[in-house]
Amino acid sequence: MPAPIKARQVDEPDSGDKWEVQLRKGCLELAILATLWGGKLYGLEILRRLESDSALIVSEGTMYPLLSRLKALGLLQSEWVESEGGHPRKYYALTPAGKQRALEMAATWSRFSGSMSRLLAPLGKAKR
Amino acid sequence: MTSNDSRTMNAYLERLRGALRGVDESEVREIVQELRSHILEKAAGGDVDSALAALGGPEELAGRYLTDSLLARAAGSRSPVRLLRSLLRWASLSLAGFFVLLGSVLGYFLGGVFILVALCKPFHPQNAGIWTYRDTAGDLGISVRLGYGNAPGVGAELLGWWIVPLGLLVGCGLVMLTTHSALWCISTYRKSRALPGSGTEDE
Repeated sequence: MPAPIKARQVDEPDSGDKWEVQLRKGCLELAILATLWGGKLYGLEILRRLESDSALIVSEGTMYPLLSRLKALGLLQSEWVESEGGHPRKYYALTPAGKQRALEMAATWSRFSGSMSRLLAPLGKAKR
Repeated sequence: MTSNDSRTMNAYLERLRGALRGVDESEVREIVQELRSHILEKAAGGDVDSALAALGGPEELAGRYLTDSLLARAAGSRSPVRLLRSLLRWASLSLAGFFVLLGSVLGYFLGGVFILVALCKPFHPQNAGIWTYRDTAGDLGISVRLGYGNAPGVGAELLGWWIVPLGLLVGCGLVMLTTHSALWCISTYRKSRALPGSGTEDE
């Protein structure tokens, strides 16, 4: 029997299935780029978008350094915008290189998940 | 936010700032400001303590930023001194960094010795060079000598004056090879990281 899916264990390699943790980590970069496809968002918005649109629940302590890394790699750009709350927010947006990277990763993902689904089809039948 | 909450948040951010030493000041300011904004917004709908808990310990959080910033800078440097300085910091953060530092120090040291021997030879032909000798147990040993002091009485010198061009060649080659290897390790490590690690340990 496969282990039950633990959505909240992206950050704790010791407490969950290591393979699943690695899988989620590997997808996180694409997931973040995808949330920004529709336009600029700030950190907390990205977190909430990930939470509502996918099972990818990420801790803040993981996501902010990752955003900073994606920016250093030239995939994201950022700007400060004043908010009503009085504190400025750091908005992130995809750069042209970031869009390119997101498209490439999405294409790879589709190919990969397509072949995995075909490969796993017999397992699905066996379960039923 | 109460003044107590405010104090708790500022204390956290100060610890983070302290742990981020080595990162450019402008970058540190951005990180701290972004997290302050995040904590303020989260704490508005809950409490500061849970917002801080979700971020993890300030040192652990800083470690995630640090490794990336360090490796990015190290990957862009060609000077052995700057590279070693970055590696020293990386070594304090992860085991992989420690081994790369160890290898690099060894490579630079050996390269440096060869270059020094070659440079000293014209001035101290008796003292600088490579000798083979037999030690008391009869095993064959090789000794590299440079600088002042007495010439090794026993043993046969290898290479002679050839040590000057060969030493320079091998020494410079070793230094270049070490730089390339270290940069290769850094870029491989950066690519292999799907995420900025877990701070202090490799996964």
